Parts: sequence; C-alpha cells; structure tokens
Amino acid sequence: MTGTTQQQVFEIIAKQAKVDVANVTPESTLKDLGVASLEAIELIFDIEEHFDIHFPEQQGANFDSDTAQSLVDAVQKALDEKAAEGQGGQ
Amino acid sequence: MPTIETRRVVITGMGAISPQGVGARALWQGLRDGRCAIGPLRHKDGEVLRVKIAAQVPESFDPATGIDERTLPLLDRTSEFALHAAREAIAHSGIDFTRDGLGLRTAVIVGTGVGGETTQDEQSRRLYAEKASRTHPLTIVRLMTNASASQISIAYGLRGATYAVASACASANHAIIQAAQMIRFGMTDAAITGGTEACLSYGALRAWEAMRVLSDDTCRPFSANRRGLVLGEGAAVFVLESLEHARARGATILAELAGTGMSADASDIVMPSADGAASAMSQALAEAGLNPEDVDYINAHGTGTQANDSTETRAIRLAFGTHADKLAVSSTKSMHGHALGASGALELVAAIGALRENVVPPTANLDKPDPACDLDYVPNTAREMKVRAVLSNSFAFGGLNAVLALKRAP
Repeated sequence: MTGTTQQQVFEIIAKQAKVDVANVTPESTLKDLGVASLEAIELIFDIEEHFDIHFPEQQGANFDSDTAQSLVDAVQKALDEKAAEGQGGQ
Repeated sequence: MPTIETRRVVITGMGAISPQGVGARALWQGLRDGRCAIGPLRHKDGEVLRVKIAAQVPESFDPATGIDERTLPLLDRTSEFALHAAREAIAHSGIDFTRDGLGLRTAVIVGTGVGGETTQDEQSRRLYAEKASRTHPLTIVRLMTNASASQISIAYGLRGATYAVASACASANHAIIQAAQMIRFGMTDAAITGGTEACLSYGALRAWEAMRVLSDDTCRPFSANRRGLVLGEGAAVFVLESLEHARARGATILAELAGTGMSADASDIVMPSADGAASAMSQALAEAGLNPEDVDYINAHGTGTQANDSTETRAIRLAFGTHADKLAVSSTKSMHGHALGASGALELVAAIGALRENVVPPTANLDKPDPACDLDYVPNTAREMKVRAVLSNSFAFGGLNAVLALKRAP
C-alpha cells in the first residue's frame, strides 16, 4: 500500500467497512461507514500494524464517533513522535 | 409441564483466595472496609507491557501450604487457588463426606473462563520463543479447564458429577447455578462449587490490551470518569446443600440460594443488552419467590467499562421498576478487580457478607456521578442497612447472563 498517509488510512478503513475507498471522506465517521465497536477495535489494530505505531489507550466505544480525518491525524501524530524518538536515539 | 417437587438450597461453607488476601474472611473484611486491592502490576514482563495495574493475589499467598507435594506439580495457578478455597470452604462447613457415603454423591462444579492460562503461556513460550521441541509432560493435566474441579474431587474423594463450566465472566455464577439446580431437583444432597481464574499471563494481558477495555488508572464503576476494567484473579468456593441435609447435620447456614436466572442476549458478541440482563434478574426473583421490593441490595456486574455500567443500570430499572431507586447497588470489582470466570464467586462472598452482617460493601473510586448511571451505588463507604435479600449479577462476553438471588438463612 502506497500513497499519502491519508490515502493509506482511507484504504484500511474502506477494507474494514467493506465499502469502496471513494466513499470514505475526511468527515465520515466510523459509525457512518457501518463500522461497529468491535470492528473499530480491529480497524485500529490494522492501522497500528500497518504503520508500526501505537495509539494511546482509549476505550473502544469512543472510536465510533471518530472521523476518518481524526484517525489520519492520530496516525500522523504517532508517526511524528516515532520519528522524533528515532532521532533522539541516534 | 408437570409440577416437580423441588428442594431448598443453602450455602454452608465458603473459602476464597483473592486480591484482598487469603480467606473468605479477608475478602469480606477488605470489601466492607472499602479497601481497593488494585495496585501496580507485578509481572516478569511488566517493563514491556502497556497495562500497568491489576488486582493480584498478594505475594504472601503460598500455594504449597497444606497441599500434598505430589499434587503440587500437577497444578496450574488456577487449580492452586481453587484447591485452597475449597479446603477452607469444606472446613468452614464442617461437612463430613465419609458419613453415609455422602462423598459418593457430592458434585464438584467449578467455573473458569479459560483454565490454565499460566501453563499455556509458559509452554508456548518454550515452544515458539525458545524453540524447544518438548513441552512439560504435565502440560495437559495442568491446563485443562476441568483441572480445578478434578483436583477438588480427588482431594476429598468426591465422586458425584464433576466438571467445569465455562462462560467467560459468568462462569462462576453458571457453575453455582448448575450445582444449585442439581440439589434443587434431588440429584445430589451436596455440591462443591464456585469459580477460579489466574488470567494474568503475558499472552492474556496482551490480548486484553489489544481489546482496549483496560483502565489505566483504577476501576471506577458507574463513575463518569470510568476508563475500563481492571483485571483480577483468585477463586471462591462454596459448599451447597439441601436445606434438609444441612439441618439434619446441624450445619450453620450462611444464606439460602433461593433463586437463579440465566439468559443470552443473542445480539452482539461484546456489547451488552439491557433486556437480556433484566430477563435473568427477573427469573432469579421469580424462582426465589421475591417481589422487587423484597430486595435491598444488588451486587452488580459493574465492570467499569462505559458500555456495561450504563446498560446494567437500565437493566436494573427494567427488572425492578420504581423499586430500583430504593436499592443499594454496588460493584465490588472496584476493590477486587475483575477475576473473569471467578468474579461471580468472589462477589457471592460479598453478597453473603451483606446478608449476614447487614452491611452493604461500597463501590470504591466512584467520584464523578454519571447521568447514565442514576442508581444508589453506595459510593466509597460501606453502609449499615437492613439487607433481607440480595441479587448478584454476572454478565459475560458472548452476551451471557447469570444471576443469583439470595435470602437470609432460614
């Protein structure tokens, strides 16, 4: 999977929601896309695995109302932190 | 359906190993005192784990005390807890299994969510991480789900129906219900029952982390700032008898197990349903011959997750109507953590204590009222009040509900 962070996150969301990636917009919430709570946890796991990052602890139910863009932002934040940590170690 | 003559079921002994310490007395005392046994996780992989807190059986617990040295190597931590709790319960009840061939008929039914997770984890590590080609030869006898029930049966020569009941977090209550029904319908005069869990293995902790239902501060059931459940461990075991049998031998009766209710939500694998839970509570009341207004206390499932606590509140309102506002409802998981398949058994110790001493244990760590949780949860301090009858709720992943109704000793 290539492309921008946003494209990659949208593709993972589309796969979990079983919708065409064109239907995922920055404003779509997981609930809009029909991603129920346990699937949301699975989606978070897929995103974490794909980018090799950890999202902070948060209860699953809260993800339902998250938008696709908020997930992209969270990924970007985690990637930035990872990069900063990596540099700190060098 | 033809009318079946049924017998009354009473509890005559109890024992526990819990985060509150060794013994049912220590557990009840800790809960009554509002002592939260949740603390920093002690674990050999603690450095890398994201989960940092748990309610653990204190290090002072010595599994070897009083257990035959030939038996010890056969035991997963799950069975160690169960055997110790069973020994205490049997001694407490004063029951003599050698008399009149009682042991030949006595059933042993023990709930556990998973069984020997510590063993499974250690042996998997050998195989997959250390690339060993052999597991320990006692792996199977340690990890099998029925190991605890079988070890109790062997230790006391109990030859009645013996097996494990597994229904995740409702395992103990389902096991206790099964044992009670066997006595109620005349299949046995006595049974040993309860629940046990030792679930703080590396693999299990990782799996719970991934599910994102673990709290990172403490367990705050029904509080607006609740952040999830805190894992616990332990066992509680009980001696159940028919009322006639207990009276005939002059036993001290702790409480009557007057009614039971079981249901399945048949909806979501993890999200609870108020209807399913309410149905189990209503069944338990009906079987016990209790009206809602006869009940003073509910020991709630109260895990501290967003979903459970508001749904359980709605369920209690459905089952109890206007009397819901008069009930004392508390979650002792706030103090002993969530011991999964053992939790209903640990909570039965709390329910019995409340009935016998007219004291309702509190919900610890409840500091921020939640509009979605609008019952009287006895926050932070135990309450002296008349307790005539009690319900004890257990609800499980998989949408399974098991509720016990208890009355004072007749």
